[in-house]
Amino acid sequence: MLLQILANALALGASYALLALGFVLILNATSAVNFTHGDMVMASGYVAIALFSVLPVPGALLLPLVMAVMAVLGVVFSWLAYFPLKNRPPVSVFISTIALGIVFQNSANAIYGAEPRKGPPLLSEGFFEVAGITIGKQALGIVIVAIVLIAAQHILLNRTGIGRSLRATAQDRQMAEAIGIRVNRMIALTFALGAALAGAAGLMLSNTFFVTPTDGTNYIIKAYIAVTIGGWGSLTGAVCGALIIALFEVLFPSLPLLIPSLEFIAPWLFTQTASTILLYLGLLAIMFFRPQGLFGETVQRRV
Amino acid sequence: MNAALNWSMSGVRPLLILGSVLLALWPMLMTSAYEMRIFTIVGIYALLALGYQFIFGHSGALALTQGTFFGVGAYVTGVLGVKYQLGGEFTVLLSIALPLALAALIAAPVLRLESHYFALATLGVGQVVVLVVVAWQELTGGANGLSGIPGLTLFGFEVKKGYGTMAAVWACVAAGAFLSWRVTRGLYGAALHISRENPIAALSVGIDTAKLRYAMFLFSAMFAGLAGALYAHTLRVVSPEALEFPIMVACLTITVVGGRTHIAGAILGALLIVNLPEWFRAMEKYYLIAYGLALLAMIIAAPYGLIGLLEQWRAKLWPETPRTLPKAEPLRNSRAVERGSGPLLEIRDVHKRFGGLKALNGITLTVAQGEIFGLIGPNGSGKTTLLNVITGIHRADSGGVSLDGVGIHAKPSFAIAQSGIARTFQNINLVDEMSVLDNVAVARYGFENAGLAQTVAAGWNDPAWQRARAQAIHLLDALGVAGIAQSAAGSLAYGLKRKVEIARALALEPKLLLLDEPAAGLNESEQLDLAQRLRAFAKGGLAILVIEHNMPFLMPLAERMACLDHGDLIAVGAPADIRANPLVVEAYLGSPEKTSA
Repeated sequence: MLLQILANALALGASYALLALGFVLILNATSAVNFTHGDMVMASGYVAIALFSVLPVPGALLLPLVMAVMAVLGVVFSWLAYFPLKNRPPVSVFISTIALGIVFQNSANAIYGAEPRKGPPLLSEGFFEVAGITIGKQALGIVIVAIVLIAAQHILLNRTGIGRSLRATAQDRQMAEAIGIRVNRMIALTFALGAALAGAAGLMLSNTFFVTPTDGTNYIIKAYIAVTIGGWGSLTGAVCGALIIALFEVLFPSLPLLIPSLEFIAPWLFTQTASTILLYLGLLAIMFFRPQGLFGETVQRRV
Repeated sequence: MNAALNWSMSGVRPLLILGSVLLALWPMLMTSAYEMRIFTIVGIYALLALGYQFIFGHSGALALTQGTFFGVGAYVTGVLGVKYQLGGEFTVLLSIALPLALAALIAAPVLRLESHYFALATLGVGQVVVLVVVAWQELTGGANGLSGIPGLTLFGFEVKKGYGTMAAVWACVAAGAFLSWRVTRGLYGAALHISRENPIAALSVGIDTAKLRYAMFLFSAMFAGLAGALYAHTLRVVSPEALEFPIMVACLTITVVGGRTHIAGAILGALLIVNLPEWFRAMEKYYLIAYGLALLAMIIAAPYGLIGLLEQWRAKLWPETPRTLPKAEPLRNSRAVERGSGPLLEIRDVHKRFGGLKALNGITLTVAQGEIFGLIGPNGSGKTTLLNVITGIHRADSGGVSLDGVGIHAKPSFAIAQSGIARTFQNINLVDEMSVLDNVAVARYGFENAGLAQTVAAGWNDPAWQRARAQAIHLLDALGVAGIAQSAAGSLAYGLKRKVEIARALALEPKLLLLDEPAAGLNESEQLDLAQRLRAFAKGGLAILVIEHNMPFLMPLAERMACLDHGDLIAVGAPADIRANPLVVEAYLGSPEKTSA
């Protein structure tokens, strides 16, 4: 039982990790919050559904296509919401991304309606039985895809020339510009990368949890919480934060299954609603007591 | 009479007056109950946006709780009206009180967070409230909400549907607009302005920015609660939709489209945002997409909203003649001069680290009253850090700082400024779009008993602001720059900006003035002029601590000097001794042949 729950938590955490990773990449490159990141996940669910309706192959094959579509969308997005405002205070970008989020949500609503839709599975629905544990094929697929993508992202960023330019841009834009890096191109590329990762997350989540036009808010909060837990701006932290959230979300409501006596003590506590409330309250507590994240070191800004 | 005419012709007021008249006449043309209902809803949104302008516009904080406060207000009225049949005098007051209490409760953990964290935290709070309201079925009706809310009654009298409700709502808008004007004008308004645009500068002139932001947050919650109550009484139903994100987004859009800080902007924005879907009903479900695009277009093309845009056009097409300056008024010197016999400023064994970097390593220094003290050292040696520790922007890891024998190192930055330490900045911290005069006048905030109650109670003009501006003229005169009082600070040359910053610092009636590279960007005659003025201030008893790289400026000016190197204090003494000190020559000055460079 516990192992099964952990497997589910890992799959959810893997999707969240991709989401949070894309969010941090864009955050680091632009020092602005992309509030539409959750809506990008939602949009990729619909992109997957649309592609599946014309090309009914397993989601694993659609994955590169969805990621490519989202990457292009990410670049367009950066032209609309980021570049016109790049010399303004970061809060302007925050608002412009809220604006585009409205466009995303209502476009999805206009095309597909408010009913939940189910995205294609990575391979097929169904379960493996391994040593008495039942593990969903989708869950296993998600974990594998996420590991591959996170590894690829890591190699791209740390082992290639373009990755070095991307990191330089994120660290110090003026300096990067001064040594001849095409900063704007790198930022657009970061948006493409972040959106593509959101695309992968969206495709995979749309099968397990379905997709509705208003999902974005929920996802952006998850990304935000993951990044807050992991330390603002840290890639590794974001992945860890995502796993912690998923573990909590899956494990907490299932505690009565593991420890039946809990059910009688406080049945109202182990509901989805209560666990979400607890998660948010935990987030507020972290922001208050450890704004540098659970793992981060205190960094003071210089005036 | 003439004054009133001038007032009504300045800025975009002619248009606003015309607009108000049209707005007042419009209901007379209304024929259907539906039109009245729409106009009532415009009023409700205007009120919501007027409130949002406090925190988002005047405080510059992207709060995402305005929709939540609105929903809470609507639910309070819903629950009280449906379950307890209470009249409007209770529902409305409690609908204001509960969001106010909620705001006061969450302000402590949330309000000190920086922009993006603040937005997230407020969003998280909003989500928690939605979840609680949906889950608490017995009270709130869960996902279905409550229906059958009675219309607005006041002390037993029923406010009639249609005209009556519409008039009541717009009376609230008028009252809200009046309160908003009173709160955000004058010296208090200027303090809000500098706190929003340049919080570091605001703290340096003794303004408690956190307190201002707290007040603004509470105001926005109260307005939102009132709007929510009116909403529930008008629609007669309330559902979780009232709490959800689209209301927040509508409010944000109204404020951005209309103008963040203009009262007229809230009303114009609400008119547009509520009516556009009506006018473009053919677009059906796509109008919300247009909403998003409009918001995006406005934030890119007109960051100050439509009213801001009108103001820009007015200034360009039909510029106003500058108003006459107030007459200079000397400061009243309210600080008691009696003081102890010890040094004025005493720094004892101050340590400060940034991560692995030792920025200050056991600094001990004193500055006497009326003394000009020079602080030198290579770049990165810790000079500015020391200034930041003295002024409370950074906290020392250990050691102490005291002014007149009173420890100040534990005080917040604004309190240190109030206790008599003023400063200027190496990289100029003025509010660019404010006039030079206002940039200086706002520093009188701590002296004119300015505050919320004062500005709300004062009459047509805020006397504290008029006095502050008159005193600012006097200070600008003292630095020889009164001629540029009406220019925008951002348009000035570098050297002038420095002088304006010094004038602003002097507005604090400081005992100690900290200058960070005041001679940078000045030519030689300007440097001589500045040195002369500084000497005169010091003769009057002001202690001045100067950071400077320009030795020909500093050496003749300073009575004593100190040299920092890698966070260590390597020498203190008279300028001649410092010049001769081998450690200082080694670390900073270089051999005599190079000194002139």
